[in-house]
Amino acid sequence: MLPVLVGLLIVSLLLAVFLGSENLAFFELTESQATILFDIRLPRVLLGACVGASLAVAGAGLQSLLRNPLAEPYLLGVSNGAALGTMLAFVFFSQFEFARPIFAFAGAGAATFAVYQMAKSRAGMNVERLVLSGVIVTTFLSSIIVLLTSLLDAAKLRSFTFWLLGDLSQGTKNGFYLTFVLVIIGTVILSSQARALNLMMIGERDAFDFGVEVKKVRLIVFAVASILVGSSVAASGSVGYVGLIVPHLIRLLVGSDNRLVIPFSAISGAIFVVLADTVARTAIAPRELPVGAITALIGAPMFIYLLRRS
Amino acid sequence: MFYNQKLAIKNTHGYQLSAISYQLFRIVFPAKNNLRKIHFVILLFICFFSLTACKSANQTAQTEVKMRDIADDLGRKIKIPEKVERVVSLAPNLTENIFAIGAGDRLVGVTTFCNYPEDAQKIQKVGDTMNPNMETIIALKPQIVFVSTASQIETFTKTLEANNITVFVTNPKDLNGVLTNLRQLGEIFGTPERTTILLNELFERIAAVDEQVRDQPKTKTFVQISKEPLFTIGKESFLTEIVERAGGISVTKDVATAYPKISKETALAFNPDVLILSESPDNTEPNDVFKNSSAVKNKKVFKVNADILSRPSPRIVDALEQIAEDLHPQTNDN
Repeated sequence: MLPVLVGLLIVSLLLAVFLGSENLAFFELTESQATILFDIRLPRVLLGACVGASLAVAGAGLQSLLRNPLAEPYLLGVSNGAALGTMLAFVFFSQFEFARPIFAFAGAGAATFAVYQMAKSRAGMNVERLVLSGVIVTTFLSSIIVLLTSLLDAAKLRSFTFWLLGDLSQGTKNGFYLTFVLVIIGTVILSSQARALNLMMIGERDAFDFGVEVKKVRLIVFAVASILVGSSVAASGSVGYVGLIVPHLIRLLVGSDNRLVIPFSAISGAIFVVLADTVARTAIAPRELPVGAITALIGAPMFIYLLRRS
Repeated sequence: MFYNQKLAIKNTHGYQLSAISYQLFRIVFPAKNNLRKIHFVILLFICFFSLTACKSANQTAQTEVKMRDIADDLGRKIKIPEKVERVVSLAPNLTENIFAIGAGDRLVGVTTFCNYPEDAQKIQKVGDTMNPNMETIIALKPQIVFVSTASQIETFTKTLEANNITVFVTNPKDLNGVLTNLRQLGEIFGTPERTTILLNELFERIAAVDEQVRDQPKTKTFVQISKEPLFTIGKESFLTEIVERAGGISVTKDVATAYPKISKETALAFNPDVLILSESPDNTEPNDVFKNSSAVKNKKVFKVNADILSRPSPRIVDALEQIAEDLHPQTNDN
């Protein structure tokens, strides 16, 4: 399975690099074509891969932890927290490039913490309560975002509203380096917790009886998911459905052992977003579509199909 | 008691009406001490309603006027009053046009985007172009509401026409459209002399630009509407024509739609000689993809105020002159 996925990733990366609004003569690149390839197309393709991997890994981790197939960075308010954080950085610290990811982590972390506090009760963590708290935090944060977009200077936020839909064209090389490092570390950490997550999928109490430090695992998963979602939202806005669709497909293929699901989700998430962005770049070239629209367009029907099959 | 004495001093219908209503109310519902507050609130309500009732009764009595027929830019036949005294503009360029032909004093409502000329900022705001407040507009009792996009019309027209307010759709799309629109507004507001002077001045300035760039080579120009994401002008934008008129050629003139988000690869591949930035807070420098382009290296990056560049109003001629000057500076010496 692993060689197949890695092979597919390489093929889709190559495809994405070869396709674009400009046709490049790959063996005799002119100076401007080299700029197009190395400064514009390649960083964007690689950023897309990192964003896809981040979101898919975060989704896989949260789904196992919460024993809820619908758990997704969006459902829990993590994405919206990151989006609000990025928006504040956008408005107040637009000149500092690194203010965006830092505020996005802070926003994602704060949203996760708020959901966690709301859902916690004396009887322990109740899954339904957690998901409901997530919905409340999500809607609350989106209303703040809407409020801010109505209040603030339209010209200043124009680029932000486009970015909110998921847009890889605004990615930078630094954004790519950051997401790349974080997604590697995040995937390794979550994979190291895979055994504990497997046990927690049976039930938190059973996992506890098996000697799993439930609280610690929960904290690790929440923290890693916040960081992964924060970095990808800061780099490219809210690309939807990746965290939901990709882990589901992987479970369908390899079963629900997290030792496989988490790393495989990372690779497949990268493939999914790279291909979706290739469509976004080429479908109406030289104009562009937001990649979030493509992932949702593919993701939503696929999700319904999966639901009906299971 | 206290309230009644105060109110009785004012000798207007509204106050009398409210005083009487309140007395009636007190007879029917005698007040206990702890209910004073509620009574006060009810009194305020009665005051408010009777005052507004009197006010509107006065105004409806005056509006019996002669009408004339006119066609708007959608080809709709509409009736407008012989003498146009109160209008609302729902687009910044229409506000500018109405001021330019000398009828700015008849604007009773404008949008929050209407920031030019300065006097426009003092006029009551009725919301923005896409979300005007119907209640505010109707309360202002305009005779005509000017709208610029056909998309607005469906929702507005019914409500407004039910209140005897005419909706006039006018959407100047290019240089000629602006001139036609000004002439049309001159007719509507009855200011032909002022309009003719304005039009002659504009014609002269446009002709001067034509003269200035006639023998110049067409400069490859990229107009950057927004830095990030990279938006530019397309086939349907009137700026494509303005750039051409100013002695340039828009490299994105064949891209569909008016303001497309353009692929950075393609933008770079066009290799423009000149960059023109529509200057706004988020668009003060060229996008990073242009950092090694010939336009940036040769310092051929120019800014034009976004308001001037984006509004089909007389100021578009300012933009035309400025772009012509940017593209072909040497001709200015003679």
